[in-house]
Amino acid sequence: MRLLMVEDEHDIQSFLQQALAEAGYSVDVAPDGRAAETLAKNNKYDILIVDLGLPDQDGITLITRLRQLGVQAPVLILSARRSIDDRVRGLEQGGDDYLTKPFALAELLARLRNLLKRNAPPGSELTRLRVQDLELDLLRREAIRSGQTLQLTPQEFVLLEYLCRNAGRVVTRSMILDKVWGMRIQPDTNVVDVHIYRLRGKVDGNGQAPLIRTLRGVGYVLQDR
Amino acid sequence: MSSRTGKPPIHSAAWRISLWATLAFTCGTIVVFIFLDRFVANDIQRRSDAWLSGEVEVLGDVAERTPNDALYNRVVGEVAELASREVPEKSASQEAPNDSVFFIQADKNGALKLWVGAGDGQERLQAIQAYKLGASGPVSIRVRGYTTPFRVASDTMGDGARVYLGLSERDQRRVILNLRVRFFVLWLSLVLLGFAIVFFTSRRTLSHVRNITDAASHIGESDLKMRVPTSSRNDEISQLGDTLNRMLDRIENSVHQLHTITDSLAHDLRSPLTAIRGKLETSLALQDAEQAEPVVAAIEELDRLTDFLNKSLDVAEAKADALRLNPGPIDLDELLRSTIDLYEPSMNERGIRIRLHSAAPVQIVGDAGLIHRMVANLFDNELKHLPSGCSVDIYLQKHEEEARLTLRDNGPGFDPDVREQLFTKAVKGKRSSGHGLGLAFVDAVVRAHSGRVRADNMEAGGASIVLSLPLAAHEPEPMPTARAG
Repeated sequence: MRLLMVEDEHDIQSFLQQALAEAGYSVDVAPDGRAAETLAKNNKYDILIVDLGLPDQDGITLITRLRQLGVQAPVLILSARRSIDDRVRGLEQGGDDYLTKPFALAELLARLRNLLKRNAPPGSELTRLRVQDLELDLLRREAIRSGQTLQLTPQEFVLLEYLCRNAGRVVTRSMILDKVWGMRIQPDTNVVDVHIYRLRGKVDGNGQAPLIRTLRGVGYVLQDR
Repeated sequence: MSSRTGKPPIHSAAWRISLWATLAFTCGTIVVFIFLDRFVANDIQRRSDAWLSGEVEVLGDVAERTPNDALYNRVVGEVAELASREVPEKSASQEAPNDSVFFIQADKNGALKLWVGAGDGQERLQAIQAYKLGASGPVSIRVRGYTTPFRVASDTMGDGARVYLGLSERDQRRVILNLRVRFFVLWLSLVLLGFAIVFFTSRRTLSHVRNITDAASHIGESDLKMRVPTSSRNDEISQLGDTLNRMLDRIENSVHQLHTITDSLAHDLRSPLTAIRGKLETSLALQDAEQAEPVVAAIEELDRLTDFLNKSLDVAEAKADALRLNPGPIDLDELLRSTIDLYEPSMNERGIRIRLHSAAPVQIVGDAGLIHRMVANLFDNELKHLPSGCSVDIYLQKHEEEARLTLRDNGPGFDPDVREQLFTKAVKGKRSSGHGLGLAFVDAVVRAHSGRVRADNMEAGGASIVLSLPLAAHEPEPMPTARAG
C-alpha cells in the first residue's frame, strides 16, 4: 500500500512515518502543498493523509487541486482546528474521512483501513465471524465459544462483534464509544473498561485462554492467534 | 397586508400612534368648529337684529303717519305683512309663513290695538310686556306654544303707543343646524380619513422596523454573516438598519477574533500534544510491562489535558455566546437510554442505582457532539460524587415548548461553599477530583442551545439538576442519521 502523507510538523511526521511503516504502508512524505502535488503527479498512491494547516496553502484547497489532477485515492484529513469546516463535511460525504489531533495511532490505522475497504469492490456480507474458538452468528445474534453458547446482552453482543471484526488489531475506547454507542465523547470515568471487564468475564470465564487483551494506555485487542 | 407575526393590529404600535394622532386631530378640529359655530351664529343673529330694528322703525313710522281712520288697520297690517315677506334666512318650503313673524301695535296704556300674525295677539302682547322691553336692541322672548323663542324689537311712537315686531328664531336655528350637520359629516370623514392615512403610513413604516427586528433576532440565533435589510432611502429606518449592520460587523469581527484566538490556541497546543502522544505510543510498543506503567500514565494524563483544553475553549466561547454549532435532530429519550446503557455497569459496580423516567421520544435540535458530551458529563458527575448505596432518578418530560431533563440523587448534595458558583469555570468542591469544568461546560452547552440549567440541593437531601432545552419546532423529517452501527 502506497501512502502519501502531507504534514509540515516534523515531530508528527517522524512518529507517523515509523508507525505507518510498521503497519505495512510504504510512506512518502510531503512537507507542503507544492511538494505533495509534484509527488502525486509522478506516483500513484492508494491513500493520502493530509493535514489541514499547511504552510503554503489550505489542506482543502490542496485536496480539490489533487482531485482535479485526477487523484482518486481516498483522503484522511488531519486537523488541529476546533471547528469542522463545512468543506470538510462535504469531503466526508464524498467518501473521505476526518480525524482530530491529538489522536490515538490505533484510531488512525483503523480509519485508514476503513477508507481502503470502502473504496474496494464490495464483497459478500458476512453472516458468521470466527476468531480462534469463538464463533459469532450475526443473524441469530449468538456467540459460541468452544461449543458453549455465551449468555450475552444485546449490547455485549454488539461490542464483541466490533472486537471480532477488528480481531488482531487495537481498538481504542473512543472508537468503541463511537461504533458501539454512537457517541463521540471522552468520559473521564472508566465506563468502557467496566463493559469490557464484564464481557471478558463471560467470554474468557471458563478457564480458557484469554481472548480479550487490554493494552494499557492504548485500548483493547481481541487476539486472533 | 396581514401581520406576519400574527399579532392583532390592536396591539401594534401603528394602531396606538394612529389612535393618539386621531385624538389630537379630533380635539383640534372640535375647538375650531366651536369657534366657527359661535362666529356664524353671532353673525346671523346680528344681521337679523339689524333687519328687525330697521323694520320696526319703518313700521312705527308708517303707523304714526297713517291717519287713524277705518283704513288704518288695513294699511298698517298690509305693510307689516309685506315686511314679514322679507324675513332673512327664510326657508322656501315654509308652509305657514305668517307664524314666523308677528306685528303688534299697542296704545299708550298697553292695550292691543293692531295684531298681524298667527295666533292670539293679546297673549303675545302680555308675554312681551312681561319682559319690559327697553329702547335698546331686540330681545329673545319665549312664547307659549312655540319651541323656539321670538326675537322682538320695539319702537315707541310720538303718542306713547308702541309697535312690536317679532321674528321667530326658528329659521336662523335651522340654518345653523344645517351648517352643523354638514360640518359634522365633513369633520367625521376627515377624522376617519386622517386615521386611515396615519394608520397605514405608520404601519408601513413600522413594518420596515419589524422586518429589521425579525432579521436581527434571526441573526442572533443562527448566522452572524447575515445582515438586516436596508433601503436606499436615507430615512430614520434605513439609518437604523445601517447602524444595526455596522454593529453586527463589529460583533462578527469580535467573534471572528475570538474564534481565531481559540483556533490558534487549540492548534498550537494540539500539534505538540499529537507529537508527544505519538512518541509515547510508539515507545510503549518497545517497553516491557513494568517499564510501560509511567508511559501509560503519561498518555492518560495527556488525554485528560486534551479534554480539559477542549472543554475550556468551549466554555470560553460559550461565555461569549460564540460557540459554533452543527445543529441536527436529536432524540433525548434515545440518547439517555444509550447513555444509561453505557454507564449502568459502572454505576452498579459502585453500588449506585439509576432509573430513567421517560415515556416518549423528545426531539430537540442541537449539536449532537456537544449534547452527547454534555449528557456524559452529567453522568460522570454522578458517578464520581455519589457514595455507594445511592440512587439517581432521571426524568425526561415535555413541558410547554421545552424539553425538561431532571437529574435527582439522594447523595450528599453540592458542597455548600460552591453552591452559589456551580456553573462558574474552575469551581469545584473540596471532595471533587475533577478539574472543575464539568458543570461550567454543561451550562455552556445548554446556553448555546438557548436553554437554561438550574442546580440545587433538595430539602430532603441530595442534588437536583434541571435542564430546559427548546423542543424541535416541527416533527423532524426523516433524515438519514450519521450514526454508524
